[in-house]
Amino acid sequence: MPEQEPYEPERAIAGTGMGGTMDLGASEAVTLEQPPGPDGADPRDKPRSLWSDAWHDLRRNPVFIISALVILFLVVISIWPSLIASGSPLKCDLAKAQEGSQPGHPFGFNGQGCDVYTRTVYGARTSVAVGILATLGVAVLGSVLGGLAGFFGGGGDAVLSRITDIFFAIPVVLGGLVLLSVITSNTIWPVIGFIVLLGWPQISRIARGSVITAKQNDYVQAARALGASNSRLLLRHIAPNAVAPVIVVATIALGTYISLEATLSFLGVGLKPPSVSWGIDISSAAPYVRNAPHALLWPSGALAITVLAFIMLGDAVRDALDPKLR
Amino acid sequence: MAETTEPILEVRGLVKHYPLTSGILFKKQVGAVKAVDGVDFELARGETLGIVGESGCGKSTVAKMLVNLERPTAGEIRYKGEDITRLSGKALKSVRRNIQMVFQDPYTSLNPRMTVGDIIGEAYDIHPEVAPKGDRRRRVQELLDVVGLNPEYVNRYPHQFSGGQRQRIGIARGLALRPEIIVADEPVSALDVSVQAQVINLMGRLQDEFDLSYIFIAHDLSIVRHISDRVGVMYLGRIVETGRDAEIYDHPTHPYTQALLSAVPVPDPEAREHRERIILAGDVPSPTNIPSGCRFRTRCWKARERCALEVPALAVPAEFRSVSGPAAHDSACHFAEEKQVVPPEGEGEGEGSGPG
Amino acid sequence: MLLEVRDLHVEFHTRDGVAKAVNGVDYGVDAGETLAVLGESGSGKSVTAQTIMGILDVPPGRITAGEILFEGRDLLKLKEQERRKVRGAKMAMIFQDALSSLNPVLTVGAQLAEMFTVHRGMSRKDAHAKAIELMDRVRIPAARERVKQYPHQFSGGMRQRIMIAMAMALEPKLIIADEPTTALDVTVQAQVMDLLAELQRELRMGLILITHDLGVVADVADKIAVMYAGRIVETAPVHDIYKAPAHPYTRGLLESIPRLDQKGQELYAIKGLPPNLTRIPPGCAFHPRCPMARDVCRTDVPPLYDVTESDAERGSACHFWRECLHG
Repeated sequence: MPEQEPYEPERAIAGTGMGGTMDLGASEAVTLEQPPGPDGADPRDKPRSLWSDAWHDLRRNPVFIISALVILFLVVISIWPSLIASGSPLKCDLAKAQEGSQPGHPFGFNGQGCDVYTRTVYGARTSVAVGILATLGVAVLGSVLGGLAGFFGGGGDAVLSRITDIFFAIPVVLGGLVLLSVITSNTIWPVIGFIVLLGWPQISRIARGSVITAKQNDYVQAARALGASNSRLLLRHIAPNAVAPVIVVATIALGTYISLEATLSFLGVGLKPPSVSWGIDISSAAPYVRNAPHALLWPSGALAITVLAFIMLGDAVRDALDPKLR
Repeated sequence: MAETTEPILEVRGLVKHYPLTSGILFKKQVGAVKAVDGVDFELARGETLGIVGESGCGKSTVAKMLVNLERPTAGEIRYKGEDITRLSGKALKSVRRNIQMVFQDPYTSLNPRMTVGDIIGEAYDIHPEVAPKGDRRRRVQELLDVVGLNPEYVNRYPHQFSGGQRQRIGIARGLALRPEIIVADEPVSALDVSVQAQVINLMGRLQDEFDLSYIFIAHDLSIVRHISDRVGVMYLGRIVETGRDAEIYDHPTHPYTQALLSAVPVPDPEAREHRERIILAGDVPSPTNIPSGCRFRTRCWKARERCALEVPALAVPAEFRSVSGPAAHDSACHFAEEKQVVPPEGEGEGEGSGPG
Repeated sequence: MLLEVRDLHVEFHTRDGVAKAVNGVDYGVDAGETLAVLGESGSGKSVTAQTIMGILDVPPGRITAGEILFEGRDLLKLKEQERRKVRGAKMAMIFQDALSSLNPVLTVGAQLAEMFTVHRGMSRKDAHAKAIELMDRVRIPAARERVKQYPHQFSGGMRQRIMIAMAMALEPKLIIADEPTTALDVTVQAQVMDLLAELQRELRMGLILITHDLGVVADVADKIAVMYAGRIVETAPVHDIYKAPAHPYTRGLLESIPRLDQKGQELYAIKGLPPNLTRIPPGCAFHPRCPMARDVCRTDVPPLYDVTESDAERGSACHFWRECLHG
């Protein structure tokens, strides 16, 4: 008795948000004029996910392109600094101390007679390594703890929330001075450890919030009604829908972690000479700023550009991922 | 349609109270939201039971308890004689295969990060015994075909579909495990009028094809009448009147049902002059503070002293017990009386009171 | 005519191209008259209303042609400042979602009183008294006490009454109600609709009721304009359209709704989906879904034919309206 409705060739898929709200910018207004052919040649026909939509936006965003190029350049020179700097950052000649720009030494020399150009190039490695590793640690620790707390709720969640409150109350620089001054190891690891220790509550809060939001969606209930296990709910349904804000905040935080490393090294509790770091160079150039401003300018400039690049990248990613702007 | 054999689903004394607590460290219960407060009903194989009620009456909470998304505070849900409210682990999983749900909002009920194939096929990942691995894609495509979507759409994402198409995907997901019972919570209320009819027809067709029993929850009385064999009317966490569709719609005896029916706008401008409207006073009381006796008495024009003292039982009212007619059905009112509120023209045209 | 919309065109620029939301809409409403604008999501019914009120977001929206004559003046030619004077004082709008249309941090009394202090220059004391009077008028019990409460302390039905009170405050000539009862329960819906109709009669206002609910329309409207894909496909007095629709889309809608008074087997369903507004089909926009479509429907856009048969004016944008009306 009930016949099957045929597939209409004009199976237009219209956005339904037109009624009261008019969100015509929504990505729903994709039209599938024809059923896909065997070759799927119709370009409009490609499945578009949030990520591919975001990528589509990012590719057209000049802010993203510029910041991504800067970051790419930084990553390359921190892996292979010798590509653009031939000398050693530790080869110093006191006789040339505070000298200005000269052939072969475009940025001049600092107070110890080391080549500022070479040191600035090599300093990128410390900054990028600290930034990326600390962010990875913070993101993993924060999103696991926050995600689990948000998903399961209850007592564990309450305890975790109080702990994050406590961590938020610790002044970062003071905490660094106290904690790091007792450590003698002159590697990047204590600094990274310190940043992870203080940084995870921020990500944990974001992750907890977005897991709670994602958890309430009907598709999570639907999967539960099918009999899905908790790990399946978390990994398949909640995590992919909750990860975007974590990525955005982590990208922006990466920039601030780089400047935090510089701050700690400047204060003498981060990396110490003979390590190479922009913070150390800024610190050592500060007393001679009247005679040799170039020695301060170049590492500070490099630091500022690097931090700015990561923050801009985070901004661009946020704009691309924010569904409200679509 | 409904045979008099053992019901496939039997609900007895179902209660869901959400505790209200105060205090930060030492939480103490200061009250409860009585979302569902003693609900009984039965569902026969192949039958559709419609549950109607206004927002906050507890109908969605009942749906969630039926599919085990919420645990009842008290009461039993018997599936083929077995109480499923206390099950867990493997036993629960196998019951879940047989009771599936279709959700209201086609926009939030599909995971935006998964393709349609993955959404429907997930049922087979969770219950691998239902379909062998190599067979899954074919099964998913078959399901798409069954709900009237092009099987080649398996690799698309939900946002590429309209609301009505998404609801079809939701229905295909509900069907994947070949359940016996489908609980549909307002499945068409988010859809446009012209698309609503498509989805309702589809659900009717699937019921015959797969021998499904439906619990159909909605606030739209016309749609519920269209699809249901029997109807239960809920108010503040309880069923106040229940019976076959013609009994409820043409011979309602509970004042709430009568008010509800009289308030429904009928698409017939001729009817507006000679139709009696019962306009209820005030709002639904809060479920934290349910009136004593009959819970409808605060808005009822017939309320007397007895209504505040005595809780009316859901049974055939005394005055109709001796007669056998459409008015003799369960109605929780001390002063039940028949009243025709829906214009009578439909009586002859519909299928009347007999089973179709 | 109190309000007359002539050949209105509105489009939106979106990522997927230009969406033609309104494509030549004509309708009018007299004082004391209720015009129901019926349509599904995407039909352009709300966009037309927003354009009349002057609350359309520009961009992404753009009014490309048309006139909106209100008491003889073209609103689209007015300066924003003059427009603002019309808005609120002479025409007001009621939205579907009362909770988000009211300011959550102000008491309802303050929001009602503001209408009088801003537009009428009343003193705060007089405005407060007026606010209580208004709340009484929309039958909110214990108005004197409740005037001090915040929007979230009211139920959905009561909030919609407050919205109605705000819209009525300055006794406007025209009210546009966009799905005013869609979010409410049936029993409350009836209360609110009755109140709106009663106040409209009393104040002899023009009412444009935007809705998708054929039942609500039958209850209160005098005439109907049915919209599809940004155009009016049929317009008629309310009695005629339910008896004999002159457009296949209207007929399909009427046949596809389940009835309270009868139990049918299979509902009539209009096949397919409403069109994407960035790619409206050529010819008659409804032709891909129309059971009566012929070749001419695929090429020629049907004008709104005059299909008047009795004394009341009727129009239908179907090449084969005669067949539809009589067949």
